[in-house]
Amino acid sequence: MVLSAALFSIGLYGVLSRRNAVLILAGIELMINAAILNLVAFGKFDKVHDAGQVFALFAIVLAAAAVAVALAIILQVYKYYKTINPEDIRQLKD
Amino acid sequence: MEQLQHHNFSILAALLAAGMPLLSFCWSALRGKQQKSGYTAIMAIAISMICSIYLFSRYWNKEELNEQVTWFRIGDHSFMAGILLNNLSVLMLVLISSIALLVHIYSTAYMKGDPGIHRYWMYLSLFCAAMLGLVMADNLLLMYMCWELVGFASYLLIGFWFTKESAVQANKKAFIINRIGDLGFLTGIALIYAQFGTLDIKPLFSNEPLWSVSEVVSGNWLGAGHQIPAVWLTVAGLAFFVGAIAKSAQFPLHTWLPDAMEGPTSVSSLIHAATMVAAGVFLLARVFPLFNETVLTIMAIIGSFTALMAATIALTQHDLKKILAFSTISQLGFMISAVGIGIPGIAMFHLVTHAIFKCLLFLAAGVVIHEMQHANQKSQPGSDPQDIRQMGGLKRYMPITTTVAIVGAMALSGLPLTSGYLSKDALLISAFEWADLRFGPTIIIPISLLISSVLTSFYIARLIIKVFFGKQRIYPGNPEKLDIREAFPAMLIPMIILGLAALFPFFSANPLVFEHSWLLEGFDRPETLERMNLYHTMVPAAVNLLGISVIYIAWRWYAENTYPLKTSGFLYRFSYFQWYIDRLQTDYLVRPVMLFSAACASFDRKVLDGFINVVKNAGLWLARLAAWVDQYIVDGLVNGIAGLAFWLGNVLRRSQNGRVQYYMLSMFIIVLMVWLFNFIVHA
Repeated sequence: MVLSAALFSIGLYGVLSRRNAVLILAGIELMINAAILNLVAFGKFDKVHDAGQVFALFAIVLAAAAVAVALAIILQVYKYYKTINPEDIRQLKD
Repeated sequence: MEQLQHHNFSILAALLAAGMPLLSFCWSALRGKQQKSGYTAIMAIAISMICSIYLFSRYWNKEELNEQVTWFRIGDHSFMAGILLNNLSVLMLVLISSIALLVHIYSTAYMKGDPGIHRYWMYLSLFCAAMLGLVMADNLLLMYMCWELVGFASYLLIGFWFTKESAVQANKKAFIINRIGDLGFLTGIALIYAQFGTLDIKPLFSNEPLWSVSEVVSGNWLGAGHQIPAVWLTVAGLAFFVGAIAKSAQFPLHTWLPDAMEGPTSVSSLIHAATMVAAGVFLLARVFPLFNETVLTIMAIIGSFTALMAATIALTQHDLKKILAFSTISQLGFMISAVGIGIPGIAMFHLVTHAIFKCLLFLAAGVVIHEMQHANQKSQPGSDPQDIRQMGGLKRYMPITTTVAIVGAMALSGLPLTSGYLSKDALLISAFEWADLRFGPTIIIPISLLISSVLTSFYIARLIIKVFFGKQRIYPGNPEKLDIREAFPAMLIPMIILGLAALFPFFSANPLVFEHSWLLEGFDRPETLERMNLYHTMVPAAVNLLGISVIYIAWRWYAENTYPLKTSGFLYRFSYFQWYIDRLQTDYLVRPVMLFSAACASFDRKVLDGFINVVKNAGLWLARLAAWVDQYIVDGLVNGIAGLAFWLGNVLRRSQNGRVQYYMLSMFIIVLMVWLFNFIVHA
């Protein structure tokens, strides 16, 4: 649990402070893994169905899919903006 | 049928006589400054004169004409307007229109080059129309209207040179004093109307039913169907008399006439010598049957007193026109006292002769002033061209003017062969006879009239001698440089005509006996005229002896420069300052009124205006407060809300910076905060 909390915090920090979209993606992966780790940890309370492990497996698959999609987005963004620094991408501004 | 045609023609002529000057007035008023020549006015008054002469020939000593139309109605009472042509009115018609025509002709030369001449013709036409209407009116109300109009025209003409302060003062004075008289007249009209229910002159004052029922029976004045105390009869008489006093410049309301001399001299001759001032006497003659014994006595006293007073004032004046003005007042006093004595016919006779010779004297004075003005402009600019001390020896420059002026003066002083002799002697003789029939003290009236007439001879001789005879006073050294000439023909011809009319043949074939005058035939002659023949020889003799002797004294004093009296004596000053009447009126009547008005004005300004100012200031402060509240509180609230929204928007906008990580951070913080909140709440 402590490990997963630490992992989550490191991931969060990575997401918030990196200047590279790929590293932000890595941060997100860290946070997802922290969550998965949490699922595995909470799986200890359900030894009958092992719901935690099952959900962890699902989550890992989903995370992989998400990473694939996110990397594709980053590639497209790079193609469009010639940068992958989120500081420079401000089209959401009003 | 023929009779009817004549009738209609006469009405047309009468309407033309008064209407032509009125038309001329309207035309001049419309044309404004283009109307400089005055030919329209002369034409109009000439037509008036022709009509007047026609009417005179038709109605003098014949059946009178009275034609009316309904003027207006109030309830059941209808007021009529119309013309009444009898001896009195046709005589006045001819007199006014012919003198007016002569004065118009005179004015073409006298007023030449005046910048306001278009106004002059306009006013003159207005005056003529009003005056002719006044004498023809058959209704007291119509007469009153014309009476006011002549007063107004006189006001305009006195103030003709309105840039002169004294002229403005004079016309205001004339107007205000005449208002007093108008008030009297109006009171009289109201009383007559209350008593008889009609204002038509003919039924009222010609011995017909309305008048005959109004006898005074045991202290009550019987009217049409009712009666009021007899004192009202006296009051009504006095009311009309007050009207006449103001218009005819009698004591104590005479002070406007000398001041009225500020107007052009031709105006003075027409209005303030011949016609308008005579309107008062005319009014008295019109309503003569109204007056009872008391009123008549008062009239005689005031008339003779005025005659004497004005004659003494005229003795010492230096202003040429003022002397003539006081002379006019004095002669009007004669007429008023003649009415008071009960001989309105003789009063009218004197009115006619006086109108002619006094107009003549004024026109001659106009010539003198005109020429003196020219001479003064060259030699002594700024000196008064009307001061007789500056004149003298003018005879050699203007012989014809001198001659006609002497004729006028002779007529005024009542020397034989002139018209003045006839009328003045008739007046004096009747006065003596009247006094003879009454108790002792009434003899004062004829005696004071006699004294006045002697004084008249003196002052007019003084005037003539000082102006035309004696030594020349301007440029005594070299007479060649003096640029004084005889008057223009346009001024001379009217004067010559008037001069001829001032002689006896115009009025009576017999130059010495007034009873043969055709003019007196037209009026009721008092039966006393034929009785006491002693007076008929004595009075003219006395008048002439005394008159000639004072003229001789005047000659000695003024022509030969042996003037014996000091000019600082009390009597001299008393006379010179016009008996101080003007000053007394100024001090004791005008000044209190002025003070009262000033007090009212200051009350108005200080108290009323002050109060209003306070209210105003309170309103102002209230408004300011409301404005402040509106500006800072109401607007502040609105602006504050708007500002708050603006500020909030600005603050919140900063969060929308488009950085994905920032959004994420804020999401995280919010989640954290919700969690903390829950934690705090549930803990």
